Amino acid sequence: MSTFWSWWVMSLIVLNLGVTLFLFLWGPRAKIPTLPDGTSGHVWAHGTLREGVRRLPRWWLLLSASMFVAGFLYLALYPGFGNSKGALGWTSHAQLAQAVAANDVKLDALMQRFALYPVEQLAADPDAQQMGRTLFDDNCAACHGRNGKGNQLLGAPNLTDNDWLYGGDGKAITSSIHNGRNGVMPPWASLGENHVKNLAQYVLSLSASPHDATRAAAGKPLFATCAACHGADGKGNQALGAPNLTDHVWLYGGTVTDIETTIGGGRQGHMPTWSPRLSDGQIHVLAAYVYHLSHDNDASAQ
Amino acid sequence: MAYKHFEAIEKHAGLLGILIAIFVSIGGLAEITPLFMEAHAVKAPAGVEPYDPLRLIGRDVYVREGCYLCHSQMIRALRFETERYGHFSTAEESVYDRPFQWGSKRTGPDLARVGGKYSDQWQRLHLMNPRQVVAQSNMPGYPWLASRKLDATDIQARMRTLRRLGDPYSDTDIAGAPAAVAGKTEMDALIAYLQGLGIRNEPSPPTLPPDKTRQGGAP
Repeated sequence: MSTFWSWWVMSLIVLNLGVTLFLFLWGPRAKIPTLPDGTSGHVWAHGTLREGVRRLPRWWLLLSASMFVAGFLYLALYPGFGNSKGALGWTSHAQLAQAVAANDVKLDALMQRFALYPVEQLAADPDAQQMGRTLFDDNCAACHGRNGKGNQLLGAPNLTDNDWLYGGDGKAITSSIHNGRNGVMPPWASLGENHVKNLAQYVLSLSASPHDATRAAAGKPLFATCAACHGADGKGNQALGAPNLTDHVWLYGGTVTDIETTIGGGRQGHMPTWSPRLSDGQIHVLAAYVYHLSHDNDASAQ
Repeated sequence: MAYKHFEAIEKHAGLLGILIAIFVSIGGLAEITPLFMEAHAVKAPAGVEPYDPLRLIGRDVYVREGCYLCHSQMIRALRFETERYGHFSTAEESVYDRPFQWGSKRTGPDLARVGGKYSDQWQRLHLMNPRQVVAQSNMPGYPWLASRKLDATDIQARMRTLRRLGDPYSDTDIAGAPAAVAGKTEMDALIAYLQGLGIRNEPSPPTLPPDKTRQGGAP
């Protein structure tokens, strides 16, 4: 606040408190002329109603006095009187910093303990699971679902099935959360509708799903292009995040239409980077929680 | 002062009313006027740029659809807010918001720093029908946004008006607006706006007392 506005505020406060304090102190001592019958002489309704003059009630005086004391104390202790910072030097930002620091002190022991263990071991820790659950609900559940079962519309993988696009050890999970992931499957509609349909049938045949054998045979030579990422046997490649096509786990759905859409339009699923939003400690706990989701039985056995 | 002066005030209702009005306004004059006048002096901090054409339309769609009725864009300086949403909001971050979208109602979460939290595709599915991604959501869908094309000449008029109000748009910016929004829908614009919220303009973390260094994270 500039000096001018500081003076502006101070003047108004002095004016306001000055006038009210004067009235408060002067009021009880004012000499009000009274008639012999003890009234002020103000009459209404032809003398039926007359104004009596009484002392101000004690409760009212005490209440008002305490209001003045509270007001002056507040202005002395807290920011309010122009640019005055107040005797306590209180600011909302410092209060926040204190609250954060106080909370960190409470969590320090826990976070230091968590940092000692690798993700795989931490996954069995009930405290880590509890903290991870909160972080998961707040940050991951929007795409992967509160139960971690994923969302095929979005291509958000199921995290509970121990089937991993980019690897399922603690390091790979931590890296996925820390840096995010970007799907890079290009669209193949340029091959022509017929070829896309043939390829889709061949992809279905890889997992021994019901398929059209003639179309699948016709699609097989085309799969050479797909093999660059998905491997000649269709088992995928975790270095690229290319899904295994031979299991029955489908990222974007396993119906014929779904697979044709995936091949024709490509898929560029995007998992955001979480590193600046979440601290490294939080990501470590979260990775442990995600690991725990697909190792539930192992975890409960320990 | 003698009693007769007060008697004069008490016996003239008009004078009494005027004096009451003057006294009641002192609080407002002291609390509102300085902030109101100094608001014009607030400068954009590093990283806060005027909205590009697509995000500018997105912002107008946000206002038109009444998103502010359920979503605030104001992270308060309280720990339970900063833990969940990130650094508290500052006045400087809103210099190019006319009007600002701070809001005072949170049926849904605060959006001040939602940019980048979800993918574009998530935002699209969510705006078409929120239940597609969040089963428990009670937010309505906005599917018509996907079929409404943007009007390029309208956006230029809006940018010129904002320039008159002080936003630093150059002639090149305004001339390039139609190309920037060509073929885009209101859905694209709203997603671009949401994905830009609070990312680059996040202030550096609050300074802590030197004896208490922050370690690890917090739930």
